Amino acid sequence: MDLSLNVNGRPEQFAAQPNELLVERLRDGLGLTGTKVGCDTGQCGTCVVRLDGRSVKSCLILTAAAAGSAVTTIEGVTTPGGELTGLQEALRQEHGTQCGFCTPGMVMALGELVENTSDREAPTEPEIREWLTGNLCRCTGYHSVVRGVQRACSAAREDAPAQPATAAASGQEG
Amino acid sequence: MTAVTGETPLQGNGLLGQPLDSREDPQLLRGEATYVGDIDLAGTAHMAILGSPIAHAKILSIDTKAAEQLPGVLKVATAADFTDVMPLPCIWIPGGVESHFPPHPYGLPGSRPVLSGDTVRHVGDPIAVVVAETPRQAAAALAAISVEYEPLTVVTRADEALAEGAPQLHEAVPGNLNAYWTCGDKDRTDAAIAAAEVTVELDLVNQRTINSPIEPRGAVGDYNAATGEYTLYASTQGPHNHRFLLSALVLGIPFNKLRVVAPTVGGSFGTKGYLYPDMPLVLLLSKVLGRPVKWVDTRTGLMNSTVQGRDHRQHVTLAGTRDGRITAVRCTSYANLGAYPSTIGPGVATALMGRSISGMYDIDAAFCEVYAAFTNTVPLGAQRGSGRAEAAFLMERLVDRYASEIGMDPAAVRRKNLVPKEKFPYDNGLGWTYDSGDYQLNFDRAIELSGYADMPARKTEARARGKRLGVGIASYVAICGVGPSTRMSKEGMLGGTWESANIRVHPTGEVTVTVGSASTGQSHGTVFAQVAADELGIDPSQVQVYEGDTLKAPYGQGTYGSRSYSMAAPAIALTARKIKSKLVKAGAVFLGVPEDKVVYADGKVFVEGHEDDTENTKTFAELAMAMWYGWGLPPEIEPALDETTHFDPPDFNYPFGTHVAVVEIDELTGETEVVAYTAVDDAGHIGNPKIVLGQIEGSIVHGLGQALMEHAEYDPDGRLVSRDLGHYALPRAIDAPFFTLDKTTTPTPHNPLGAKGAGEIATVPPAAAVVNAVVDALSDLGVRHIDMPVTPEKVWRRLRGESQ
Ligand code: FES
Ligand code: FES
Repeated sequence: MDLSLNVNGRPEQFAAQPNELLVERLRDGLGLTGTKVGCDTGQCGTCVVRLDGRSVKSCLILTAAAAGSAVTTIEGVTTPGGELTGLQEALRQEHGTQCGFCTPGMVMALGELVENTSDREAPTEPEIREWLTGNLCRCTGYHSVVRGVQRACSAAREDAPAQPATAAASGQEG
Repeated sequence: MTAVTGETPLQGNGLLGQPLDSREDPQLLRGEATYVGDIDLAGTAHMAILGSPIAHAKILSIDTKAAEQLPGVLKVATAADFTDVMPLPCIWIPGGVESHFPPHPYGLPGSRPVLSGDTVRHVGDPIAVVVAETPRQAAAALAAISVEYEPLTVVTRADEALAEGAPQLHEAVPGNLNAYWTCGDKDRTDAAIAAAEVTVELDLVNQRTINSPIEPRGAVGDYNAATGEYTLYASTQGPHNHRFLLSALVLGIPFNKLRVVAPTVGGSFGTKGYLYPDMPLVLLLSKVLGRPVKWVDTRTGLMNSTVQGRDHRQHVTLAGTRDGRITAVRCTSYANLGAYPSTIGPGVATALMGRSISGMYDIDAAFCEVYAAFTNTVPLGAQRGSGRAEAAFLMERLVDRYASEIGMDPAAVRRKNLVPKEKFPYDNGLGWTYDSGDYQLNFDRAIELSGYADMPARKTEARARGKRLGVGIASYVAICGVGPSTRMSKEGMLGGTWESANIRVHPTGEVTVTVGSASTGQSHGTVFAQVAADELGIDPSQVQVYEGDTLKAPYGQGTYGSRSYSMAAPAIALTARKIKSKLVKAGAVFLGVPEDKVVYADGKVFVEGHEDDTENTKTFAELAMAMWYGWGLPPEIEPALDETTHFDPPDFNYPFGTHVAVVEIDELTGETEVVAYTAVDDAGHIGNPKIVLGQIEGSIVHGLGQALMEHAEYDPDGRLVSRDLGHYALPRAIDAPFFTLDKTTTPTPHNPLGAKGAGEIATVPPAAAVVNAVVDALSDLGVRHIDMPVTPEKVWRRLRGESQ
């Protein structure tokens, strides 16, 4: 069947099998390999992309079901070699990535959380951890990722001058 | 606060020890790194592997005709297509024992064939492959291969595999016993136990776990018919090793015609250092088809084929005095090697575990025996903290059991038995000689930081909320920095375990460092640049690091056992010193003074006492250019700056530490929550504390996973129940609180950086700390032990008085 998607701001038209998964279209069809596949069962979150703004697991969605939507992948977040977003920069400063295989999925999932905090209370540590339950990481133990999100949320709130700055406290020592 | 003991042997400019940002991170954060699954060579065909659906059977026939007719299928192959290929070798045969392995034509013990032809021995045992135009076509064609099996009886536990009448896995291995291995002094230990005032015993199951790197393994084979050269891209932690083993021992092709490239690797934790059938298969099939052949595993495939870990059943005994002095420890272990000896699995199950059982304690008599057996399960290999974690678990459980038996505080018992500072180097009587340590300092720091003294009050407070609070301590010593090649040969390792580094100074003054090690997420590019820049006195931004490609990097054994920083980094530092001493010689010529008047410091050479005087100084960049031109050098000084070091340390290094876990158990649900966790680790001098912090945090969570949820569970038919991430629980972000971390610093004398292993050491104690804490919380109910994983159901039953 002939389908169309808007991917990272670019319209894409292609023929797809009815059983094709969105992640297959992105990786194999469009060569957007920043989105990773870590499991077969929707558990790991390495394949998270944004579909019309919401973070979704692209291994659980048929391309056909996404037809007509706007998809943002990790490649759509920055330009190649370009400046990092606030979230990416915060994760860099906290070394929130080790092998990096979970990282694109984390950035896509956490992007939604961080973007929505400039106009409300910063998420608490439990909220951040709860948000992260759909993403598995075997390297970092999540701590540096959680600290990165806290840092990114504080920065986002500082950039939004009308908001009171009450950054979540970190319990980290050492 | 950080305590430092010992002298610093560092010679650098103070860059080491700085928390530089990882230079790898931006690329990873943008999703731009290339993992094996992202490699897309022109004309690539895709391979899928048919794994056995049953755990033990004779193969009566395989019919591939229907599969061959399917759209896109290029080749279907079975064992019959690879009769001239050698089985995958096992290169760690436990030292000093009579080992039983299927024979290898080169005289080395062989393990599994690339494809099983007449017998399958575990679910997932590969029996056929399909290569097709697309991954989907290849996977679809697997279903069209029909295999006729004659099922055989199945055994999945090591102890049962050794029992009379058990099904036999390998003809060459009578009774399934791969090795009976011992260390320590049996008579002395038995006598000490017989004479002891107090003895305690435990039966422990150190359950099988699946390491689960988030990136499954993958391999791309690319044969060049014009040159006869093979290239393998693989998610490997040891590209040089894989090159050697594949070319010389499996494929029988010249070493210099195989190139192995490790692209970005998405975590390994021990599992990607092994030879797997897919590696030779993609190379052979690329040659047959004249196209690159690519294979990327699925998660379920990984769980049924990538090595699994731990898996000991142990009977352990500790003897001591009534006043808390430990006099002996003894362990009898049944280790489950799985269906075939993996590349180094037998060594992991024996020496790595057994020689470590006495932990941080000064014990007069110790003995360990291991029965390593074959069963119908996935082959055993290393898992983050391998061997050492199993050892720490048994010892630290025993210490708590002993403390409760004699009515003494578990911290006090530990404190009393720590190896005293003045006894180093300390021979533990089991085969390891601990290099250096101040265990008391480390232990006291952990106890103090954890707020141990406040625990009784916290228990009362928790009780009022319907929670049972428990506290558990675990100390450990981890052997790292593998290591001295000769020493490892005595452990049965068939291969050198040195590491190498090359430094090339370019005419423009930039520097390239290449190492034999290969990162699986440890920011080698950052840390190794830091080491070279520190020694050479230049800015780290001038240094570029390359590794992981056997065509470009010097030989080395790869990343495992937390060895990269204490093996490759010293090799870099020593190489930088060679560069410096050459520059001092050349500087003497250029500056026209005798060599003993020339000093190298802060990235320049100068005439002694004339540091700030440009006439008498040559900068690193000036020297680099001068050495490139080579003009005016006397015959004894070669032009250019290009040096290599092969570093083989005099002995291993032994990091150590103490962790304290605090758990709360919900009286109603039996759920265990880790509410506080304190870790004080000692890895000697640390190069980059930001990188190590990440590794420590990740390691602890990995250890918590074993304690609380991870279990590779087989049903009686040998099917892996926990076959995907829906059935195998991994810790998620909600499963751990932030940790309280600190370190002590005891340099090792065994390398010029004073560096000990760090990457996985913090995985060694958490399982013991958490189980000790859970038992503490339940002790008033008469609970003396609880098996891992400590699931809510198990605890709930114990809360209701049921026995294990
Ligand atoms: S690949 Fe989509 S959740 Fe794992
Ligand atoms: S950084 Fe390796 S899995 Fe998250």
